Amino acid sequence: MNLLESIKVSLGAIFANKMRSLLTMLGIIIGISSVITIVALGDSSQKVIDEQFEVFGSGLAYFSINWRENYTIKDLLTSEDIDVLKSTFSKETEAIIPSIYERGKVKSKSQKIDVGIYGGDEDYNKIEKVDMIEGRYLSDEDVKGKRQVCIIDKEMALEVFGRSNVLGESFDMEIWDGQVSFVIIGIYEKPKTTLQAMGGQTLGNVFIPYTTLERITGSGDLYSEVEMSIGKETDIDSFTQKMIHLIEKRHGNEGENKYMVQTAEAELESINEVTGVITLVIGAIAAISLLVGGIGVMNIMFVSVTERTREIGIRKAIGAKRKDILLQFLVESVIISGIGGIIGTIVGLTLSFVVSTIIKIPPSFSVETIVIAWLFSAGVGIFFGIYPANKASKLDPIEALRYE
Amino acid sequence: MIKIENLSKRYDTGVISVEALKNINLIVNEKEFVSIMGPSGSGKSTLMNILGCLDRPTEGLYELDGQSVQGMSDDELAVVRNKKIGFIFQSFNLIPRINALKNVELPMIYAGIPASQRREIAIKALQKVGLEERMHHKPNELSGGQKQRVAIARSLVNSPSLIFADEPTGNLDTKSGNEVMGIFQQLNAEGVTIIMVTHELDIALHTKRMIVCRDGEIIEDKPVENQIIIKKQEVIL
Repeated sequence: MNLLESIKVSLGAIFANKMRSLLTMLGIIIGISSVITIVALGDSSQKVIDEQFEVFGSGLAYFSINWRENYTIKDLLTSEDIDVLKSTFSKETEAIIPSIYERGKVKSKSQKIDVGIYGGDEDYNKIEKVDMIEGRYLSDEDVKGKRQVCIIDKEMALEVFGRSNVLGESFDMEIWDGQVSFVIIGIYEKPKTTLQAMGGQTLGNVFIPYTTLERITGSGDLYSEVEMSIGKETDIDSFTQKMIHLIEKRHGNEGENKYMVQTAEAELESINEVTGVITLVIGAIAAISLLVGGIGVMNIMFVSVTERTREIGIRKAIGAKRKDILLQFLVESVIISGIGGIIGTIVGLTLSFVVSTIIKIPPSFSVETIVIAWLFSAGVGIFFGIYPANKASKLDPIEALRYE
Repeated sequence: MIKIENLSKRYDTGVISVEALKNINLIVNEKEFVSIMGPSGSGKSTLMNILGCLDRPTEGLYELDGQSVQGMSDDELAVVRNKKIGFIFQSFNLIPRINALKNVELPMIYAGIPASQRREIAIKALQKVGLEERMHHKPNELSGGQKQRVAIARSLVNSPSLIFADEPTGNLDTKSGNEVMGIFQQLNAEGVTIIMVTHELDIALHTKRMIVCRDGEIIEDKPVENQIIIKKQEVIL
């Protein structure tokens, strides 16, 4: 008996018990669809995170005091340190700048809105990427002259002025209880990322020369953190080692573990690790339902074998070999779980699409997942079908024929 | 065709050992029509199962068509059953899910005969037993006699040299029983060897040779003198 005949016979047996077959498939359907949904949603959120990092720059890194260790004022970085870093690593980096950030308030037509104030320089665009739509970015002169100039985003211009053509106009920002006036030299478009689209309205960001921000806050010359953008070709690990070594040498605290470097890449990795573990854990739970589905298949195959004991006897009497009977029942169980797998895949893809749409992340489906899921369901059919099928094939024809 | 020497069959149930067949010697030649008679427990069914290659003897020699059978594996026996033997049972043993035609095709599926050829042969076999009009009916839509005729058609499709019938008329009324015996006589006349187990004397009288078993031994083996012949027109229905 060849495979085609076995398939025909099995389909006949499956359709003879439609309700039972469907209920058995349901276990596989639920298992496969939940695995597919979870993996697809995991993929989608992965994409969102990757996209986020793409926007913010994957070469982003922070050199800072190691917060876990005690440090003194002499360990902090100076302006000279930064100049030395800049000149030493001009090849490896695109921008190096002390990390300075303040919160401020701006009066709009109706209310005071919170803004984030970033201290930047002419290269800061390489660290905090923005797309200029009007005017110019910060310049070297702005930084040296500690000018009170700023770059704001379009939404903020609309919020504060009610229009977007506001180049050259000035407005007041409240920083540390003081009002400071700034001239707008450029307007940028906020990058649209999925996370923002999901509903988090980030507050407006204003970029001003970092020297100006230092002057206003009265700080300066000693820095605990430096931001930088690392070039694409740079080997991040060896570069950060060199950098720490250089600063340690200048401060005479070699080997005291005073500094550390955090890179966006490492952060992305650790986030990926977390999301990966979450996907794995939920996926494993879903896989358990697949296992339960498989046990259901096995159970029903046992029922089927018992029910058809006499048929097995007849088939053996007229010449069916052991492998013919084995194949017949194995094919039946693979078909049940295979059809369940196909339906489950369709349900899973639909479900993940619907959920992605609701939580506004891009839907994702990989052919790989579908193929693996389907092969897995067929595998479940074989694994849980082999035992009942083997039992059937081993039946003694005389006893089987006597079975009532 | 069949040669049995010193054949014994013991069933060990652990507690007791039952000797179902004791030192049986038997020769059946080609084109014979044999009935095996005896009360229940006489060993006739055991003998039938061994002759039909469904069971193996505990001891002794069994040669079928000059081929020694007792050393064969389960799968080899399955091939012998498929190619050389046709079975007819008291309870018909048709598969209920599939129609008469598919039931008749079944032995050919295991013989690896292609589908188109299978259908052709099956239809011919059903014509032979006068049932081609009912071939698309499932077993539960057929009468007992019709079911048995489907079973006969099924036993014929691989052109076996030997047909075993186990109480073929046991579940049939007299008329249907006679029909079945008529078909057997016709097949026998065409050269098919038939061995039939029965406990009814008037059924056994349709055969040519009668073997009587009791307590696992053959106690009588004689030709049937006044064989009841069923005329052809009685068969065609």
